[in-house]
Amino acid sequence: MMLSEAGQARVRGYLYVLERSLRTFQSVEAARDATREVESHIRDRVEEAPAEPDERTALEGILARLGTPTRVARAYSTELAVDEAVATGRLGAVARAVGQLAATGVTGFLGALGLFSGYAIGLGFVAVAVLKPIFPANVGFIWRNGVPMALGAHFNLPPGTEVRGGYWVMLFALAAGMLVLVLTHRAARRFLAWWRSRRSGVFPFDGHGTGRPRPGA
Amino acid sequence: MSLETWQEQLRRGGLELAVLLCLAGRARYGLEVIRHLQEGTDLVVTEGTLYPLMARLTGEGLLTSEWREDQGPHPRKYYTLSARGRQRLEQMSGHWREFTGKIDRLLEEAKR
Repeated sequence: MMLSEAGQARVRGYLYVLERSLRTFQSVEAARDATREVESHIRDRVEEAPAEPDERTALEGILARLGTPTRVARAYSTELAVDEAVATGRLGAVARAVGQLAATGVTGFLGALGLFSGYAIGLGFVAVAVLKPIFPANVGFIWRNGVPMALGAHFNLPPGTEVRGGYWVMLFALAAGMLVLVLTHRAARRFLAWWRSRRSGVFPFDGHGTGRPRPGA
Repeated sequence: MSLETWQEQLRRGGLELAVLLCLAGRARYGLEVIRHLQEGTDLVVTEGTLYPLMARLTGEGLLTSEWREDQGPHPRKYYTLSARGRQRLEQMSGHWREFTGKIDRLLEEAKR
């Protein structure tokens, strides 16, 4: 089948959306290479397809078998983002991969929730360290009726509540924040590596084809 | 777990092995792999999901890829099994046989 100008425009539109979607998480070069491969696939399918009952129906059938451009991009994203995150450990890559896992099921969601909480707690400690020199009287350990309740900032202290701690709170919060962030990040990489092996493994074996049976398999 | 989910998991588990098997004999481009799989299996449900899988396998060093411009009306990206991929294929094939053998034995036992 030879595509008319309208058919070619439809294919160009499909590839444009695909490349734009791929560029959100891949390098320009990688996105272009993947798009070129999908274009080659479409051209092969078009050449072998009969233009029946009409070109539009035939072309839409070809594109439907391929999946929508966003679905194809999502498949690339799921396949590659986790690998990039495990291999490089870059914060952005890990965050993207964890975000994607959150949408894959209950385990992914709970894992992502736990990791998000870890990062949030770590950043909370760091925020305390940053705010302490700016608001020295309002940031520190918060005591209520002689009992320590929290570490943070309080700008409208009710009766019976006081903020304790000097500038050493800054060092304490920074150290605690960094510790929590590092541990959470390590946990995130381990979780992603585990998820990757779970995804690629055939049921009773590990995901790397090393042949070590899973415990209890 | 529904039957559909179970089937989907089986497909997903088998697809990687099937792709490696497809490329064991000779280099193939994406659509050739899809056609080969569609002839003998129903593992490829959506064609567009096979390309990301092959991209990942290439990234893991199991496949190598190159664009060839002289083997068709337009350039095509051909995939070949790397030495590491061949090694992985042997391991996966062995374990697949072992696994299916065990399930077959259970099926036979259940029939008696």
